[in-house]
Amino acid sequence: MAEHEHHWESSWAPLVLVVGIVLAIPLTFASYFQYENALVSALFAGVGVPLMLIGLAKWVDEGLDQTHLHFGYAVPGISVFIVSEVFIFLGIFSGYWMMRLEADSWPPAGTPHMSMVLPVIMTVILVSSSFTIHVAEEKLEDGDEAGFRKMLMVTIALALIFFSCTMYEYSHLVHEGFGPSTNSYSTAFYSITGFHASHVLVGASIFVAILIPALGGRINKTFVQCGSIYWHFVDIVWFFVVSQIYFW
Amino acid sequence: MKDWIFTTDHKRIGVLYLVGSFAAFAVAGTMALLIRIEQFSPGPNITEDPNMYNSWLYFHGAAMILAFLIPGLTGWAANYFLPLMIGAPDVAFPRINAFSVWLFWLAIVIALLSFVIPDPPDIMWTGYPPYSVQTEGNTAFYVFTVHLLGFSSILGAVNFLTTVIYMRAPGMGWNQLNLFVWGTVAAFAIQLIFIPVLAAAVTLLLFDKYLGTHFFDPAAGGDVLLYQNLFWFYSHPAVYVILLPAITILGEVIATMSKNPIFNYKACVYAGIWGVVLISGEVWVHHLYVSGMPNWIRIGMMISTLMISVPVGIIAMSLWGTLYKGSITYNTAMTYAAGCMFLFLIGGLTGIPLAMTVIDVNVSDTAFVHAHFHFVMGIFAAFCVIMGVYYWFPKMTGRIANEKWGKIGFWLNFIGVNLTFFPLFVAGLHGMPRRYYDYAQFAYDPTIEKMHHMATVGAFVVLAGMAITLLNWIGSAIAGEKASANPWNSKSLEWTHTEIIPGPGNFKEPVTVSADWTPYNYGK
Repeated sequence: MAEHEHHWESSWAPLVLVVGIVLAIPLTFASYFQYENALVSALFAGVGVPLMLIGLAKWVDEGLDQTHLHFGYAVPGISVFIVSEVFIFLGIFSGYWMMRLEADSWPPAGTPHMSMVLPVIMTVILVSSSFTIHVAEEKLEDGDEAGFRKMLMVTIALALIFFSCTMYEYSHLVHEGFGPSTNSYSTAFYSITGFHASHVLVGASIFVAILIPALGGRINKTFVQCGSIYWHFVDIVWFFVVSQIYFW
Repeated sequence: MKDWIFTTDHKRIGVLYLVGSFAAFAVAGTMALLIRIEQFSPGPNITEDPNMYNSWLYFHGAAMILAFLIPGLTGWAANYFLPLMIGAPDVAFPRINAFSVWLFWLAIVIALLSFVIPDPPDIMWTGYPPYSVQTEGNTAFYVFTVHLLGFSSILGAVNFLTTVIYMRAPGMGWNQLNLFVWGTVAAFAIQLIFIPVLAAAVTLLLFDKYLGTHFFDPAAGGDVLLYQNLFWFYSHPAVYVILLPAITILGEVIATMSKNPIFNYKACVYAGIWGVVLISGEVWVHHLYVSGMPNWIRIGMMISTLMISVPVGIIAMSLWGTLYKGSITYNTAMTYAAGCMFLFLIGGLTGIPLAMTVIDVNVSDTAFVHAHFHFVMGIFAAFCVIMGVYYWFPKMTGRIANEKWGKIGFWLNFIGVNLTFFPLFVAGLHGMPRRYYDYAQFAYDPTIEKMHHMATVGAFVVLAGMAITLLNWIGSAIAGEKASANPWNSKSLEWTHTEIIPGPGNFKEPVTVSADWTPYNYGK
């Protein structure tokens, strides 16, 4: 620590990541949807996504080294961040609640019969994945790195199966003529489940970012703990999604 | 160069915020001048195209609030000085801090692109549907600007809340924090809770416009007022995100320059600052008094809006009390502080009638409202930023900013803003609406045009004042008088325990403070 005190710290990961994000999200989206130019859109995504991945890889790489860029407060940090996540979900849910409470009848015309089997299966998958990541953490605590990697891989697999279920459900419903613009229920349905699914993808990406260096034996317990806290949060939100969107 | 753009040091990131926010201020200020020229007299003045005028308004509002005031206060001031004030070597997450500043910079770039792209955003800084959904304009850029800045602020909140909770110098209790640290913590607590709601609102707008959903479309079961509610649920507390750091910088300057401890410190922090946070989430409907709602909601929100003047009054009382029997040094920073007190008084007092529904429904969307919020959150907060730059100038550059030019700049700015916005109160009471491109239909009342003449002249006086201020900073940073380590004889850690320009790691020795230490120990 002492020898670093006389150096200005730096890292190129944050800037590269930001540039990647700006190219891959706002510019790609606006070129495609606002200006309807798929080629330009693909160009932005083609440059932006690799930059994002490079930035993230560098960031994770530095993080695993436990450099002086760390003060060791990541666990309270992720918990503070989750507070804001709670409020973004509340914001979107309140849109749904307003529409639903003002509606004359529910579900509105044009809503097909919704299967209740799939959401139950998805709930089981997601709860199991919360359980497997917890087991992975315990294995790591016991020093069983091979067991940790195995349970982490199971968790990633469960997350991807969950995501595939969402995609299957979407394609099935769109096929039945129930797209995002069909009615107020479809509006809420696709927005809320889609927003949750994006969180599942982020969670799975965090686990992949933990897994890849872990295969080479580089594991940071704090990183695992933060990923796990985030994943439990995604799991808990799903209970609200299921109860509000499917079973109410 | 590489050391700066890849830096993770909180002080350098603070400077990057300062440069970025003043760049945004310069462009948004130019927009303000164009708007004032256009409003000089009825009919088209410098543009025949009302849409052009519209995009000036859009950029001026969005950039001044989201890219100048919020990043200037919670970006520059908090980044540079908060870790120094609590005795920390850096913030808790240095790389996330760098990530935040670049999100902010690229958000400005996206906003600036609106001047060159076809179909620029034309939806003000509020983006109300249904217009924002139906327009040909690029609502996506508006939404993503908000997303990038919002994400930047949320990560800032995570960073600074963690820093203040875990990284205070050993021995530093909660009642020994600088007022500015409390103001920043409170502002970030508001950001953490309320920005996500704004992010949700604009995301739903994006879905509605581009993916065909119906959140804000009453014809398909949506609710157009939902957007206004979600938007103001953040955007009213956002004024406290600006107010709290601004008014607590004011507290720092007043305490240092009058050599007094903060009067009624605990009341100011726990009743004042946290009282504002507590009530800030229950007042947003006063922006919607004319949007259509039952009277009982209007009356409830009128009461909560009036109630917020109590904690704000407690803070103001602490500031006045701190001056009492002080040995006041009237340098440039303190002159700005005195100016700020006046601006805050005018802005605050004109807010009280606006909170009352019976008055507000008559002056809603007039120049009176426009003048009120410019006084209280526009120029008051901008003056606090300028005051902070003068106060902390030696800390950042090792030199003292030129006092003579500082004061000339102050008087031009101060006279200019009053000349701009006092007439707009009058014009508003005469019925001049906000945001109009051409007010020919109000030309029957000659007072309105006279007031616009005065306001436009005032805006150019401010231009002169700001030009002198910025040139003074640049000149003084290069060739100003060298400063001693603690030029104002402050007792606060950022002055007493660091070198005049702190190096990496901030403190040569880890700082500890004793139980009777406070940042305002002026021996009284």
